[in-house]
Amino acid sequence: MRKIFALIAVVLIGIFSIGLAENVVNPDTVVEDTYYNIQSLDPAWVSDVGSEEAISQFYDNLIQYDGTSVTRFLPMISTNVPSVEDGTLLDNGTTYVFHIRQGVYFHNGDLLTPQDVVYSLERAVLFDRAGGPSWMLSEPLLPKIDGRYVDSITQWAVKLAGVKSWNDLFATGTNNPLNDKYKQALIDAFNLLAKDFEIKGNDVIIHLPHPYAPFLATLAHYNTLTSILDQQWCAAHNAWDGKADDWWYYHNPTVNDDPLYNIENGTGPFKLVKWSGGLQITFERFDKYWAGPAKIKYGVINDVSEFTTRKLNLTRGQADVINVLVPYLSQVEGIDGVKVYTHLPTFAIDSIFFTWNVNDQGGNPYLGSGKLDGHGIPPDFFSNKDVRMAFEYLFPYSTYIKEVWLDQALIPNGAVPKGLLGYNPATPTAFHQDLAKAAEYFKKAYNGELWKKGFEFTAVYNTGNTQRQTALQMLQYYAAQVNPKFKINIASELWATYLNDLMMNKIPMFMIGWTGGPDPYNSAQPFYGSGGAFGAFLGASYREWAREHMDPLLSESMSTTDPQKRAELFTEMNTIAHDNALFLFTDQQEGIAVMRSWLKGWEYNPMNFLRLNFYSLSK
Amino acid sequence: MLGFAARRMLLLPVTILGLTLLIFLFMSFLSPYELLSTYVSDPRQLQGDAAQTLIKQYGLDQPFYVKYVKWIDEVIHGKFGWSVTLNEPVSKAIMQRFPATLELAIYSIIPIILGGIWLGVTSAVHHNKFIDQMLRVFALLGYSIPSFVLGLVILFIFYGVLGWLPPGRLGVNFSMIYDSSSFYHYTGLVTIDALLNGRFWMFLDALKHLVAPVMTLSFLSWAGLLRITRSSMLEALGQDYVRTARAKGLSERVVINKHARKNALIPATTVAGLMFIGILGGVVITETIFNYPGIGSLMAQASEQLDYATVLGITLIYGLVTVIGNLAVDISYALIDPRVRLR
Repeated sequence: MRKIFALIAVVLIGIFSIGLAENVVNPDTVVEDTYYNIQSLDPAWVSDVGSEEAISQFYDNLIQYDGTSVTRFLPMISTNVPSVEDGTLLDNGTTYVFHIRQGVYFHNGDLLTPQDVVYSLERAVLFDRAGGPSWMLSEPLLPKIDGRYVDSITQWAVKLAGVKSWNDLFATGTNNPLNDKYKQALIDAFNLLAKDFEIKGNDVIIHLPHPYAPFLATLAHYNTLTSILDQQWCAAHNAWDGKADDWWYYHNPTVNDDPLYNIENGTGPFKLVKWSGGLQITFERFDKYWAGPAKIKYGVINDVSEFTTRKLNLTRGQADVINVLVPYLSQVEGIDGVKVYTHLPTFAIDSIFFTWNVNDQGGNPYLGSGKLDGHGIPPDFFSNKDVRMAFEYLFPYSTYIKEVWLDQALIPNGAVPKGLLGYNPATPTAFHQDLAKAAEYFKKAYNGELWKKGFEFTAVYNTGNTQRQTALQMLQYYAAQVNPKFKINIASELWATYLNDLMMNKIPMFMIGWTGGPDPYNSAQPFYGSGGAFGAFLGASYREWAREHMDPLLSESMSTTDPQKRAELFTEMNTIAHDNALFLFTDQQEGIAVMRSWLKGWEYNPMNFLRLNFYSLSK
Repeated sequence: MLGFAARRMLLLPVTILGLTLLIFLFMSFLSPYELLSTYVSDPRQLQGDAAQTLIKQYGLDQPFYVKYVKWIDEVIHGKFGWSVTLNEPVSKAIMQRFPATLELAIYSIIPIILGGIWLGVTSAVHHNKFIDQMLRVFALLGYSIPSFVLGLVILFIFYGVLGWLPPGRLGVNFSMIYDSSSFYHYTGLVTIDALLNGRFWMFLDALKHLVAPVMTLSFLSWAGLLRITRSSMLEALGQDYVRTARAKGLSERVVINKHARKNALIPATTVAGLMFIGILGGVVITETIFNYPGIGSLMAQASEQLDYATVLGITLIYGLVTVIGNLAVDISYALIDPRVRLR
C-alpha cells in the first residue's frame, strides 16, 4: 500500500509541475468563456448570440459599424457606404450602389466576385427558416402585398399561384410542385427578388421595391444573415446553386438538412479549426485576409455553463474574457489583472406584460375563480385601461434598478431603447411609483367594484431569472399595500411550459425581455405591432387595437427615410403606448464586459454586445 | 454460467425497448408548444406563423406512437436522430462524449476501490477506536455533502487558489494539438491516445484535468464502500475460521489480509461494480461543475433543452451499460465466491 501511495505522489508531483508551465499565457490565443451555445454556422440560419458571434469571425458583410456608432457605417466588402452625397444612394432611398472590393479571398482560396454578393443576399431570402431571420431581408427586397411588408417569399409564391398555403403548391410529403403552373409561380416569385439586383462591372446595384430605412443596418457586420458567401463553394456543398427553378428545394430546411450548418468558407479574418457542439469552437488566423491578418493566431470560444468555473478560468488566466450576469458582478470586481467595464449601452428591454384576453377554456388556474369576486379576475381584466394604469403606478422603478440591477440598468419610457432613433427621454415621461395614483385608478376601474372586492391572479416568469422574480414580488408587495384584498400569486415556469402557456394565451401577467436595434423598428414592432412577436401572446383584442392604432404608424416609420420624421413617429408610438399603459417597462439593461487586463484592442458597439470581435484583439 | 449470461443478454433488447417506450410515453404528456421550446429559444423566433410551421415541420403534434415507430425505424437503420443540443447526429454526439466519461470512470474506480476498501478494513480493524470513529465521521460527510458543493470546494481550492487542477479535459494548447489532423485518435481516451501519439506532456495534462473530478467522485463513493466493507469485515472478523486462524498462531496481518479481507470483499465488489456503472452512465453534476465533456454533462444540456433524441440515445447507452455491467457484477460475484451458483 505504501508503494502505491508513493507512486501516486510521484505522479501528482509530475502533474502539478506542468501546471506551472501552462500558467504561461499563450500570447497568440484569445479564449472566451461564455454561457451560450452555438446553434449553427450557416449565416442564413442563425438568430442567436452564440452563433452570430462565431459566424462573425468567419464571414464579412458589405459594410460594418463605425466604432461605437449604430447609425454610421464603414466599408467592408463594399469599398463604399452608399450615400446621397456621392451618388450611390439614389431614387428616394430605393437604389443602393456598392463598389465591390477587389482581391478578396475566401478561406478556400476562391476570389470573391459581385455575383457572390447577389447570391448571398438572394439565398438569405430564399432560405427562410421558420423562426429564422430571413424576414429582415424579405421586407426590403420583396414588393409589398396589399400595402403590407412581406416577411417570407412563400407569401408571393402563394399569391402568384392562387393557392391558400405554401403546402398546397407541392405533392404531399415532397417538395415537388404539383403542376407547371405552380412551378412557374415559384419561379416568378424568385424573379421578383432577382430583379432587385444588377451587376455592373464591379458594382452591385440593389433596387428596392420601396424605401426601407434600416436597409443599411440590415447589411452591416454582425447581422450574420447578410454575410457574403462563396456561391461556387456553396453549390459544391449541396446548398442552393443559384438557379431560379429549384430554389424551393432549399427553402426552410430542418436543422439536419442544412448542408452548411457545421462548415464555413467566408472571407473573414479567421477560419474554422473545429467546432465541438456544446463545448468549444476553435478558429485560426486567415493570413490572406483583405484587411491584413489578425494579431492573434487562434481564437477559442468555450461553452462553460457554471459561473464559478468561468470566473476561476479568468482569474487563472485560462480565459481572457468571460460572460458575467449582473448578480455575479461583485464577484469579479477588484480581482487583480481583471478589467470590468460596466454601464455599456445595450438595446435589451424587460417588460411586464398584460394579456388583454386570457384563454379560460377548460378552466385556467392563473385566473383564480375567473370572475371579479375577490378570488380571481375575469379573462379580459387587463383590457381595462384603468387596471393597467394602476399597475404602472404600483411598480417601484428606481428601487428595482438600484437594488436588483445594482444600477446596471435604466428606466425605459417605451419599447424604443435609449440610444436609438426616436428615443426621447422627456416624451413620454417614464412612469414612477405613486401608490396614491395607483389606488385612484384601482378605485376607478370597474366602477369601484374592483376596489371593493379585490382580485387574485398568478403572474409568471421564466425559472432561474431572479431579477424578474424580484420584479413580480415587488409588484405583489405593493398591490397588497394598496389594498389587502389585492393578491398576486407568483409562479416560475421552465421555458418549455412558459412557451406553451404564452402561446396558449393562458398567463394574465408575465415578464419577458427583448433585444432590439439597430433600427428602432426592430424594438417597436415586436411590442406594438399586431403581428409582432408579443402580439400573439396578448390576445385578439390587443391585436385588433394595435392594428388600428399602431400598425399604420409602424408602416409609415419604414416607408419614410427622413430621420427626423421617423424619430417623431417612434416617439409618437412610445407616447401612445405610455398613455394607454400597454406595457410595464421595467428596465433597459446595461452591459458588463469582464476581461484580463492584458487584452488589448477590445472595442464595444451595442450591436455586438456579447459578441467579441477577435480580429481587433491582441495580448 | 454461459446460459445465465445468454439469458440476460436476450433480455437486453426488451429492457431497452421498455426504457425507451417509457420515455416516449412521458414525452407524450408534453404539448406541441412545450416540445417547440427545443427549437425556439427566444421570442424573436416567433414572428408571424413560425410556431405553427415548426410544429408541422418537426412533427411535434404527432401522436407518441407514431414518433416512436419512426424513431425505432431510425435506430434499426443505425441512426439515433438529431441532437438539437450539439447540432449533430446523436450517434456522433455520443461517440464523442462517451470516451470522456469512460476515461473518467476508469480513473475514478481505481482510487474508489483501493481507498474505499482500505478505509473500510482499517475502520473494522480499529473497531470503536479513535480511527474508526474518525472514519465514520468521514463516511457521514461523504454521504451528506452534495456533489456540487464538494465539486465547487475542490475547484476553488485546487484551481482557484493553488492553480493546480484546471477544469475541462485538456489545456488550451494541448486541446489545439488534440483537435489537429496530426493527432491520431485511437481510442478517444485522451491519456491513452496521448501516449500512443508519443505526447507525454499531453498525457500528464489530461491526467491533471482528471484529478479533481476523480477526487470528487472518490470522496463521495468512499463513504458507501467504506460502510459496506467495514460491516462485512466486522462480520468476517467474528467468523470461526478467523478465530481458527488466530488460534493457529498466525500474525494479525496475515489473519486480516489473507483470511478476513478476502471474504469481506465480496459485497464490496458488487457495490464497486454498481458504482462503476453509475459513473459510466454519466455523472451529471460532477461533469458540469468541472466542465468535463462527458455523457453526463451532455445529458444535462439535452434535458434542459427537451432534446428527446439525445436523451433517448443516452438512455440507450445507459440501459446497455447497466444490463451488461450488472451481468459482469453477477459473474464476478460467482467467480469470487464459490458458494454462489448462477442459474
